[in-house]
Amino acid sequence: MQPSAQQHSASISAQPGKYLVVTLGHESYGIPVLKVREIIRLCPITPVANMPPHVRGVINLRGKIIPLVDLRARFGLPAGEDHDRNCIVVAQLAGLGGVTRLYGVIVDGVEEVANFAASDIEPTPDFGGVIDVRFITGMAKSGPLVRTLIDLDRIAAADLATTAVESNPASPAAS
Amino acid sequence: MNDASSNAARLADALLQQVALDLAFAQPGSTRVTDSLGDLVDQIAAACDGAPEPIGTAVAACRHWLAACAAADGCLTQQAIASLSEWQPWMATAVLAWGRGQPIAPPPPEWSVAPPAVRAEAEPTQQVSVLPDGVDDDMLQLFCAESQDLLQEVEQAVLVLERNPADKAMIDTVFRVFHTFKGNAGVIKLAVLQRLTHELESLLDAARRGKAQLGRDAIDVILEGADVLRRYVGEMLGQISGVEKGRTIPLPIPALIARVDRLLHGGPAVPAAAAVSVAPPAPAVPVAVPSPILQAAAEPMAAPVISSPTPPAAAQSPAEPVAAPAAAVASGMVRVDTHKLDGLIDLVGELVVAQSMVVQSPELKGIGNSQLARCLGQLRGITSDLQRTAMSLRMVPIGGTFRKMARLVRDLSGELGKEIDLKLEGEDTELDRNLVEELSDPLVHMIRNSVDHGIEMPDVRAAAGKPRTGTITLRAFHQGGFIVIQIGDDGRGLSGDRILAKAVERGLVKPHDRLEPADIRGLIFLPGFSTAEKVTGLSGRGVGMDVVRRNIEKIRGKVGVDSIEGSGSTFTMYVPLTLAIIEGLIVGVGQERYIIPTLSVRESFRPLPGAVTTVQGRGEVVRVRGKLTPLLRLGRFLGTPAKTDDPTQGIVVVVESGQDCRCLLVDDLIGKQEVVIKSLGEMFGRQNAFAGAAILGDGRVGLILDVNSLVKMKSATGDAA
Repeated sequence: MQPSAQQHSASISAQPGKYLVVTLGHESYGIPVLKVREIIRLCPITPVANMPPHVRGVINLRGKIIPLVDLRARFGLPAGEDHDRNCIVVAQLAGLGGVTRLYGVIVDGVEEVANFAASDIEPTPDFGGVIDVRFITGMAKSGPLVRTLIDLDRIAAADLATTAVESNPASPAAS
Repeated sequence: MNDASSNAARLADALLQQVALDLAFAQPGSTRVTDSLGDLVDQIAAACDGAPEPIGTAVAACRHWLAACAAADGCLTQQAIASLSEWQPWMATAVLAWGRGQPIAPPPPEWSVAPPAVRAEAEPTQQVSVLPDGVDDDMLQLFCAESQDLLQEVEQAVLVLERNPADKAMIDTVFRVFHTFKGNAGVIKLAVLQRLTHELESLLDAARRGKAQLGRDAIDVILEGADVLRRYVGEMLGQISGVEKGRTIPLPIPALIARVDRLLHGGPAVPAAAAVSVAPPAPAVPVAVPSPILQAAAEPMAAPVISSPTPPAAAQSPAEPVAAPAAAVASGMVRVDTHKLDGLIDLVGELVVAQSMVVQSPELKGIGNSQLARCLGQLRGITSDLQRTAMSLRMVPIGGTFRKMARLVRDLSGELGKEIDLKLEGEDTELDRNLVEELSDPLVHMIRNSVDHGIEMPDVRAAAGKPRTGTITLRAFHQGGFIVIQIGDDGRGLSGDRILAKAVERGLVKPHDRLEPADIRGLIFLPGFSTAEKVTGLSGRGVGMDVVRRNIEKIRGKVGVDSIEGSGSTFTMYVPLTLAIIEGLIVGVGQERYIIPTLSVRESFRPLPGAVTTVQGRGEVVRVRGKLTPLLRLGRFLGTPAKTDDPTQGIVVVVESGQDCRCLLVDDLIGKQEVVIKSLGEMFGRQNAFAGAAILGDGRVGLILDVNSLVKMKSATGDAA
């Protein structure tokens, strides 16, 4: 029943099910709905010095302090202005030691919750090394639209690894 | 014969009937029967106290067989059953003869040789497996939790008992604890533990019935027995959470059982820790006489004794510094899972923030309705009470930690041959339970230092006109938002000259530097520093004080030392009452607000023109009370554009970490308030500019500066770029 999604063992493949579709610029991305804890409007962001540029800082989510990442910057898209359709998607991810942690991502907008069947999902194409496909779990087709399905756990894990190297308070912040 | 012995004989006879019954149902591999037989034989031995010699030998032989079984794995062996089946009828006849005053036939010769005793002693330790079969983890957790409480109780009681071995209430307490422990161990079928606790229980029972006095040897055995039990429980806890599940650990249980045996029944004294393959004692141990070992030990021993002002046999010593732990009865307490507790406290924290955001919201403030204002005020009051109560749930008295030190001081002073009294003050002072763990290690370090380097040997003290017994005082009290813990001793104090000399030798200080006495004392907190003449096993390896300081700074506290050479030293620790809340100075830099823990703030001021000196175009220093202190422009350092570049338009906040200071340049001082610290999370775990974050009254996040990192930063960058 599962089409060629299973054949590529190198990348983890997307499971059929419900996805939250968000927009970054002109592109649409799908996040597994089970990972999404809530969606909130843009709120005051406290920047944290000496972090990579896609880490915008932290926000106060009803008393919890959670990190905020700009997905456009993460994927290398040209930066956009913050506007009032921006949303923060609060994701619930597996953290160290089995404890779940919250992780916020800024997106340009939220489109819909779509249900993708296995037949709608195709494996990640080979972009020939032009882009980083680590975070992409598949491509979903619904009608004329194509959405890129992403894995936030991997993105967050990669952030952990890079922040270890890049943060260095001895060096003055860039810009 | 006389009435007493015929009564005793009758009692022994009745007990022997029960033995016969047990034997009838005994199977090899049964542990239950071993225990009940053990009990019965003990009672028979007690009853046969005044019996003629052959009975004594027979009883001793039987005990040795049972001990061998217990030492193996607690199960009856086929051979033991055979021997017992022979023993019982012989005993019955002998006891009958004794009751009638008739001569008793000698026992079979092989009983006098007691070969199983050799086997039991040849291996002073045995490999013990820790997790019993067929018991689920919840029961084991419960067992471990209760055991730890019981063992703590035992240790306290035994230390009190040591000062006054005739204290019946204490003996009863310790007996009861071992008895309860034995019962718990039986429920989850830990035969090995049962056997050990049974032996310890017997020792205490003998003391309880006045058959023995508890001297130093007995106390040592009891404490070591408790240690073994503690290790067992610790291993069990580890294995339950998956650490090396199923492995066996060596425990000196046979050696301990042998020592108890000798204490109870006489025989050559066994040196405490070095009991390895001792030659078997002479056979035919007479049971009649209360152990000569214990009685001899009742006399005050040589130097290594915790000195008490009155001899042990007399009444209670007047100034009882360690309060009787018997008061710690399990009354009106509940066990709560710490996760649930922490969850509750987090929720209350969120409630406080939400409430604060409502109450401070400008829209609400604009309404101006007095009824509304009253309700909001009430809401704020209740929330604040709720928060205080929730915080207090996590508070525990520091007495528990202090009392653990009593054992440490006793053991250490004994090893070194010093006489030291430990005084405790303020044991009821409360602090956050999370802190208690963090404080334990630093306290142990400092007490070791006191015992090892501080307090002099008794002769040295006497020669200096001091009392032979040194005193270490542990004191705790609240001050401001902190708990202050002091460790003072009346020992030799810190020698400024020696410290300076060592520091120069280590290159930590230039020979011609001039240092204040306080700064000289502060040198002991530098890494790799130690003035000990030789490195003892305890301390003097030079890792002590700087690790102590780091541990205390990790919990956002600070530590300092005061000393008078020849008179003594006092270490003082300031620790915030709870890890969760700190008092912070809110400063503004550009559009952002940052929080500086007030504990680290020395002072703040607006610099006058010319106060800032530039060096090499990049470094800046400020003259603060005559001392030149490096300046760090926070705006530049944190990448936040400041309102002004001119220091004379801003504020300089002088912060300190240990002996070092920095001047931080900010735009304004906004205020001072208590904030609830939140962790920034794993993503920011590696950066060290910020220690955490807090939610300010208007809902925005204020980052809390990690002063220690800022001050200790060595690189030249980060200053004026």
